[in-house]
Amino acid sequence: MAVNYEKLINDLVQPLVMHPEDLMVKKFSEDDKMLTIQIIVHQDDLGRVIGKNGRIANAIRTIAYASASREHKKISINIDSF
Amino acid sequence: MRKLQFEIKSLDKALDYASQELRINKNVIEINVIEKKSLLGLKKLYKVEAIVNVDPAEIGYKTLKEMFDNMQLDAQIEMKRRNDKEISYSINTTENPLLIGKNGKTLENLQFYIRNIVNLYSDEHLIVLVDIGGYKENRKKQLEILATKTAKEVARTRIEAKLYPMNAYERRIIHTKLSDWRDVSTISEGEGQERHLVIKPKRR
Repeated sequence: MAVNYEKLINDLVQPLVMHPEDLMVKKFSEDDKMLTIQIIVHQDDLGRVIGKNGRIANAIRTIAYASASREHKKISINIDSF
Repeated sequence: MRKLQFEIKSLDKALDYASQELRINKNVIEINVIEKKSLLGLKKLYKVEAIVNVDPAEIGYKTLKEMFDNMQLDAQIEMKRRNDKEISYSINTTENPLLIGKNGKTLENLQFYIRNIVNLYSDEHLIVLVDIGGYKENRKKQLEILATKTAKEVARTRIEAKLYPMNAYERRIIHTKLSDWRDVSTISEGEGQERHLVIKPKRR
């Protein structure tokens, strides 16, 4: 059974945001090796999800990356706001 | 436990305001009315207290559990509280190397993420440690061997030695290990990712 990366990332980002209703995690593209995921958050939450020097964003990427590498996939995450 | 007292005109807005100020999700905040003030019989003013009614350590545990479920990994998570300020999680899964990553990079990021989440729910800064399959203990032993070996070399040749870049925790292990040596001194040089330890011979 394949891992649901959208849910994984959604659950990672959810506790960080103050406007959960504006959080959207969508699969952008997918093939055998590469998976691109787009996170869209409320403008006020952007700073929190990215963190100082991008450290939180980096942590989220690393966790997702580790999980994906189990299925020999690469994952790339874009974070943006409205 | 985090608390906040404030005055507000409408109780409907109290939760939104508290969430904004405490920078926390609404569903863990509890609002209690302390006092109801009436001004001129028309305008109402409420004095309320917002309480974040969760245990930060439990939040960390739940976050980890949920994460491993999402990854479809079987994980045993053990939570320990050393005192009021320190929480440590030891994790064991079937895929330990994957979660530790190269040079412990993934583990480091995981710890940073969990520390960040846990501290959202606490008013004082908590120390949060995450370990996977006893990696940190092994790493500590390795680093101490490396430190002793290099220090001996430095003491003998009297030429300083540069170690590869390490994070603060790893550098600290070496500093501590070599702190009582008479022949060498340790110092960290460089910035950010490049920060590394230099072992120098002490002048006699």
